[in-house]
Amino acid sequence: MTGDRNHAEDDGGSATERTGDEAVNRDTTLEKGTEAGAELSATRAADGGTTVGETDDAELRRGFFQQWVADSISNPARVYRSMFYVATIFFLLTTLFPFYWLLMVALTPEGQQQDIILTPNGFNPGAFVEVFEVIPFHWYMFNSFVIATASTIIVLVIASLAGYAFGRLEFPGKVPLLLLVLVISFFPPAAFFIPLNDLFNTPVGILEPITGDGTLYNTPGAMVMPLSAIFMPLAIFILTTFYSQIPEGLEDAARVEGTTRLGALFRVIIPLSAPGVATAGVLTFIAVYNEFFFSFLMTDGQPENWAPILEGILGYQGQYEVMYHLMAAASIIGVIPVAILVIVAQEKIVSGLTAGALKE
Amino acid sequence: MARVRLEHVTKRYEDITAVDDVSLDIEDGEFLCLVGPSGCGKSTTMETVAGLTKPSDGTIYIGEHEVTNLAPKDRGVAMVFQNIALFPHMNVFENISFGLRLRTYDDEEIERRVTQATDIVQLEGMLERMPDELSGGQRQRVAIARAIVRNPGVFLMDEPLANLDAKLRVHMRTELQRLHRELQTTVIYVTHDQAEAMTMADRIAVLDAGKLQQVDPPLICYNKPDNLFVAGFIGSPSMNFVEGEVVENGLKTPNFLVEFDPTRVPDVSVGQAVTLGIRPEDVHLAEFTESVTQPTDSIPARTDVIEPMGDEVFVYLLLSEAVEGGMERDPASSPDQLLMSVTSDTEITDDQPIDVVFDGTKVHLFDTETGTALTHGITELGGTDDGATMTEADG
Repeated sequence: MTGDRNHAEDDGGSATERTGDEAVNRDTTLEKGTEAGAELSATRAADGGTTVGETDDAELRRGFFQQWVADSISNPARVYRSMFYVATIFFLLTTLFPFYWLLMVALTPEGQQQDIILTPNGFNPGAFVEVFEVIPFHWYMFNSFVIATASTIIVLVIASLAGYAFGRLEFPGKVPLLLLVLVISFFPPAAFFIPLNDLFNTPVGILEPITGDGTLYNTPGAMVMPLSAIFMPLAIFILTTFYSQIPEGLEDAARVEGTTRLGALFRVIIPLSAPGVATAGVLTFIAVYNEFFFSFLMTDGQPENWAPILEGILGYQGQYEVMYHLMAAASIIGVIPVAILVIVAQEKIVSGLTAGALKE
Repeated sequence: MARVRLEHVTKRYEDITAVDDVSLDIEDGEFLCLVGPSGCGKSTTMETVAGLTKPSDGTIYIGEHEVTNLAPKDRGVAMVFQNIALFPHMNVFENISFGLRLRTYDDEEIERRVTQATDIVQLEGMLERMPDELSGGQRQRVAIARAIVRNPGVFLMDEPLANLDAKLRVHMRTELQRLHRELQTTVIYVTHDQAEAMTMADRIAVLDAGKLQQVDPPLICYNKPDNLFVAGFIGSPSMNFVEGEVVENGLKTPNFLVEFDPTRVPDVSVGQAVTLGIRPEDVHLAEFTESVTQPTDSIPARTDVIEPMGDEVFVYLLLSEAVEGGMERDPASSPDQLLMSVTSDTEITDDQPIDVVFDGTKVHLFDTETGTALTHGITELGGTDDGATMTEADG
């Protein structure tokens, strides 16, 4: 078919050329046209289809846009390809430009931050060292890391047990309970904040040896507990899906071989659901690491009181000046651990998300 | 090495009773096959022994201990599963040694035992492979090695050969028998394939609808089935059944009369509805009567379809002129059809009138109402005492 079409386009080309000796040209054009028509009708007849009259005519006069549309219709892959590039470039710009911008701001020396368009006003890589000198930013990072890691471990352990129950056991009230978990995950965190803040500021006797004054405020517990609870439902759903797909026989085999149900979960079911566990873990880690609300309000902002990165970045904001270049540098440094985590776990996350989606 | 006893084991689910009052006594070192059609409760029975299912009622003993409420890991059993159930994330060595590594064996002992087990199942040199790199037969061997490596008291096998192709299945069947001879361990083997049960078992336990029908050595089950179900289930092709009524001088069926003396058979009275059972190989051509020990009177029939199987030929016989064969060719289902098996050198064509006789010593009579066997053999040589003892009701 492509050959035929080219032939027809050639006809069109010769038709537009006929300016001077029209008669001669017309003869040849007609000849060519009929030739092409005969050829076409022959092939079409062989196909069992009908002959379309357009091949007898010369090609229509088309403007640039019309021509482009016609080409696109005949060759849609071109359009898809260009749309792919447009979408990719748009996506890359919107995600990466903020980082580029942060880097420009971070590199610009203090006091010259007006009018940064695309290049820094000056070059001051020292900002990346200065962030640690002005305030103990590494301490804030450590706090964030500990809080995110602790939450992730708690979420994975509890969600694994819940996922096992929801995914592999039959018990009355299973579906309503699962729906309840889902509903709770839709609650806005702010709804929990006031009662929780009140609770965490109430001295509890048994906590006194651990926290000093018996309250959870200014301890990692004040962030780990609510954040674990908030990000738990997602992990439960991911793990339920994965654990329910492990064949019953494998668990039976492990139990006959000498494990308990719990042993079978940790020795067989979890290792076989590694993509799901990695997905749930990474999503939880990132979500806790990035969390603003509880991180901002559950400590007084001092690094020795387990204030996370967020407070650290806000720490560059003084009463009389705001050190934007340091805030930018600190933000970039703060992103690095998460970026590394995602790159390392990327393969598992992708396979985890799709596997869960496809098998259900 | 252990004896296994099930006493009145019952498993009820919400809507069905999967296992209904099953009592079994399995000797130490015995190879017992649980056999029955799909959904008869044989797998559930085995799971109660393994501890994967808790019985609703009844007691289970392994060795001298009651294990009814013990976890599977504390029962000293090993199991081979229908879907083989190798751990896909572990290599062959890790799979085989899984149970050992959970216990307090030192590394040398584990190494030694795994080597020994792989020797027995002929898996040398494959310890580093992952399960997905093995063929079906090799996977099954790994599963068996995983079971024998712990020296269990009881082997539980839940249709271990069901997922293998026919040729491999026959091969593994002999391997399992060799293994059993070597290890002398108690084996409980679940299968729906009566041929597998016949060839391997010391005793067969036939289950239907959760109830135990008969527990006996294979040939007893074959020659002296306790009831209609066992008679129909054991043996391939299955036994012919013809319903009839006892009269003064024998059994009258719609198409023929089999003469015998009803007074010689206990529990049979004139007028009673009785089902006659005769295996295809016990139906003979009337012209070869001399080879039959106690032939009955000849019965006129017409051949319908001939199925040559190689060593023997299955012949479908129509007993009544009115019947035209048709789709209902299961001889057990129709009183007008019989299946006969003859040696392949017999000259026989389809749609040919022939006379057949039954081997009187092999004719089984069952009570049509209860299905209970009344006698096996209706003539003197069959022995009067055969029939008298087979009265265990099927509930």
